Amino acid sequence: MRPGRILTFARYEMRRAVARKKVLAVVGLTILIDTVPYYALAGAGLSLVPASYHPYLWVVGVFVPQAFFLQFIALLIAAGSMSEEYEQGTAEMLLSKPVGRDEYFFGKFLGGYLLMVLVILLNAVLSVSSATYVFGPQGGLGILPLVLVVQAFCSLVFYSVSFMVGELVRRSSLSYILSSAVFFTSQIVGIYLSVIYSLTGQETFRLASLYLPTSPVDSLPLLLAEPSLPDTVRTLFRLGGIGAVETSAPFSAVLIAAYSISAIAIAVAYFIRADVAKRIT
Amino acid sequence: MAEIARIEEAVKDYGPKKIGPITFTVGGGEIVGYLGPNGAGKSTTIRMLLGLIRPTAGTVRLNGLDPLRRHAKALEGVGYSPELPNLQSFLTPRELLRLAARLHGLGSEAIKSEVPMLLERVGLAEYGDYRIAKLSKGMIQRLGIAQAMVASPRLLILDEPTIGIDPAGVVHFRSVFRDFVKSGGTIVMSSHILSEVEQLCTSLAVIHSGRLVFRGGIQEFIVKGLGSRSVSVEVEKVDEALVGVVRAVQGVMQVTATPSGLLVEVSKDSDPRAEISKAIVGSGAKLLAIGYSRSELDDAYVRSIRGDAE
Repeated sequence: MRPGRILTFARYEMRRAVARKKVLAVVGLTILIDTVPYYALAGAGLSLVPASYHPYLWVVGVFVPQAFFLQFIALLIAAGSMSEEYEQGTAEMLLSKPVGRDEYFFGKFLGGYLLMVLVILLNAVLSVSSATYVFGPQGGLGILPLVLVVQAFCSLVFYSVSFMVGELVRRSSLSYILSSAVFFTSQIVGIYLSVIYSLTGQETFRLASLYLPTSPVDSLPLLLAEPSLPDTVRTLFRLGGIGAVETSAPFSAVLIAAYSISAIAIAVAYFIRADVAKRIT
Repeated sequence: MAEIARIEEAVKDYGPKKIGPITFTVGGGEIVGYLGPNGAGKSTTIRMLLGLIRPTAGTVRLNGLDPLRRHAKALEGVGYSPELPNLQSFLTPRELLRLAARLHGLGSEAIKSEVPMLLERVGLAEYGDYRIAKLSKGMIQRLGIAQAMVASPRLLILDEPTIGIDPAGVVHFRSVFRDFVKSGGTIVMSSHILSEVEQLCTSLAVIHSGRLVFRGGIQEFIVKGLGSRSVSVEVEKVDEALVGVVRAVQGVMQVTATPSGLLVEVSKDSDPRAEISKAIVGSGAKLLAIGYSRSELDDAYVRSIRGDAE
């Protein structure tokens, strides 16, 4: 694999993703989600929020979107990455050039993923700057770089799964539907398993919920960040309904890696062997 | 003539439809016209050659390499323009050609000089910064050819290259392709426009119902496909005496008067054009033009397809 070709495909993929209105809409939504709540609170009166929380309100904007919003963006970026090229017939032109299929695959994967990382960065920058602007200087920001790295790592799960689904089904609408189904099913099943565990106390249900793809994705950033943040923030997390599943960071990390690597491996294996469709309509 | 591409006993089984086994080679310096009815398997063969689809059986070699296993290496020096190219509508022609050049491994300096030159060559210099989505079908076709010509390829594979291009553009591209071959290139071109094939190509490959029914020179195909050949003669004035003079030439089978002259059917094994010319001039008639009938390739093609179907 030649790094130059991979980077060319990565740049191309970023450009392609940005050209899609879906992704632009998502970026717009990120901006709204990360700014409007802060300014709404300011409009309603700063005294509504106890002063002790003011220096740590950036965590709300950074952590609240983790469980749902960021994963959904990952899904939106990845689900169309391969499938739209087949639908529009553009894969044919790209793969008739002297490039390896692996270069094309990993270049596109990398490009979309870099865009996802930029969305995570944008989310953090907007949250911190809005919180600072509205509630004054923010504290505990030393943990932010680690949180961003972990969030980027976590987003690999649904990014990879959606990328794989897009390659396997090669139809963008079906790819979005199936990828969303995996994501929502995991979320819903997780809630059911937790409720059943709370009611029955049977360990099997708790263990089953830990292995769902949403579980490590939701938990890992909190597991790593919580020890470095003051009690005030933990209270904030509880108020915001953010809570890590009782598991360990290494276990979550391994699970995230396992899900991501499996999805990438399946997609690569299929892509290397499959025919490049002329145009799927 | 070095061999550039080879397809040997290649089969693509789509389940309800099977293409092949097909065997043929393409030598350097050729312009191969690849003919066949819709759905005969032309695009499938081309796509197998490019490593875009995997043959169910048989072998394919491009530049001596398997285009599936060694895709990047096998496709070096190969340009492909698909039929009705689906190009990235969010890019401009200039951006698309830059992308293609980077995928060919060209450096920034080479890209800077090559992209404007290609835009100029295909007649898109004024449209280089328009979104591809805004271009007409003919312009997209031109751009499809331009992206295939990036990085000075040695082999051009063109699938219906002139569909949607205006007549002046077709004439222009004919000269572009001839220049390309003169400078050492090779072309494999699928087309339904037989007059274009006849004017441009040096040899033919004809496929029908997934099978190659002919591979060789155009004259050979016409001779093989037609029981006889038609010579079209243009004279100032036609009369019975002239018809008799031409009919007497050895190898002439039948002579029919037409509004502009004569249509002479000659034996497929002979070429009595010189004798016919001599006889006409000798009779005192004014000969304006003589040559094999332009519709010969069409007739031979239709017969070869129909004959195979029977």
